[in-house]
Amino acid sequence: MREIRISNYILAVFSALALFLLSLPLAAPVRALKACVIYLCDPMVYYGAQGVGRLADVPTGLARLMSADMENQRLRAELQNALWRGSELEALRAENQRLSQALGLKVPGRREALWADTIERDPLHWYNSVIVNAGARQGVALNAPVLGVQGDALVVVGRITEVRRDAAVVLLATDEASSIAAVLSTAAVEGLVQGDGGPTLRMNYLPPETELRLGDRVFTSPTSATFPPGIFIGRAISINPRDPFLTFQSVEVEPALGAAMLHRVMILRPEARSSIEEVR
Amino acid sequence: MNPLRGIAVFLAAAFIQWWWSTHFSFGGLSPQVLLVLTVVLAARLGQNLGMCYGFFWGLFLDAMHPQLFGADALVLMLAGYGVGILRRQIDLADILPLSMVVFLATWLYFLAQGLVSLAFARTFLWIGWRPWVADPFYNCLFVPAAAVCWEWTRAQR
Repeated sequence: MREIRISNYILAVFSALALFLLSLPLAAPVRALKACVIYLCDPMVYYGAQGVGRLADVPTGLARLMSADMENQRLRAELQNALWRGSELEALRAENQRLSQALGLKVPGRREALWADTIERDPLHWYNSVIVNAGARQGVALNAPVLGVQGDALVVVGRITEVRRDAAVVLLATDEASSIAAVLSTAAVEGLVQGDGGPTLRMNYLPPETELRLGDRVFTSPTSATFPPGIFIGRAISINPRDPFLTFQSVEVEPALGAAMLHRVMILRPEARSSIEEVR
Repeated sequence: MNPLRGIAVFLAAAFIQWWWSTHFSFGGLSPQVLLVLTVVLAARLGQNLGMCYGFFWGLFLDAMHPQLFGADALVLMLAGYGVGILRRQIDLADILPLSMVVFLATWLYFLAQGLVSLAFARTFLWIGWRPWVADPFYNCLFVPAAAVCWEWTRAQR
């Protein structure tokens, strides 16, 4: 009898607490509790991922060590070329900036890349979010674009929606809450790529007169507030039938990087002031 | 339960859940380790402990996702409560009835998550047909392992 009474008390207290957390997600106590939980849980995930990574690397480590010297020689030669290309690029960038300023155009801020590994993902939220092992301490900012590599090209993965001390939550492009200003390569028209919680994306708001073709490539638009222009998003895989009640067309887009391939991602962060001045 | 042992069980289970879902998901599927353990604990130790573990494990799961904070805590805590009540009606000492409870609890867990999402985020969180069909079986496979671990832990005392 006593146990039942206690369990009823526990049920009432925990239910009230959970409903409070769910009802007022932006209230200060709820955010404080969430921060506290994250503070306690994050180290386990962060250091767990590091430990798992080290253990997984042991068998391949020996073979890599043997080939490392050869690769090192080759990379040294490539670095010489890259240094030259880098200085050429720097000169072009400076010229571009000067000309943009002369024309009165807005000069976009420079960003530097930060690589991070996926340390947490749940099959139940497979197309929604992942956690990566870079956070505030590494300079990750809210809404920073997250890219991946497919072949030799950079492709869109998502954006940062939550920054923790050593980790950050990436909202994937396939999440329902995600939308990216995009441009269709062949028709050169703009639209909005939105996620639907599944493996594909949908590009909406394409002008009705546009001729759409399967296989069209979709890139980020220069008007995107988050992503740099010209980053590959995916390919059109089906054209949705025109709805007479809508003033736009839409296509289904297959993301360039499948959800199962998100092992390592690149986060773009604003370049540190000191390093900009150093380059200048 | 000894508090230190309790904290160790909590952390170990949370670590296994993270490790399995991140590194060992097979075909996009992984067992809901924390749900299974909540059910097993509630069946073995009673609903009070099951509810406490369920609530805090739920908070851990909630902290891993940007979606509703508190949803998993509520659902796992209710799972602990429900199994505690069920424990008085049927014998859950054997693995077979326990597996059946886990099987049904998995569906109820998914359904409850969807309903909580519908109530607080205005969208029904649908996990997809594949987890809906396969995860109850996957979770049932985890029950014997959890039961064996439980018996082993008890034998160590």
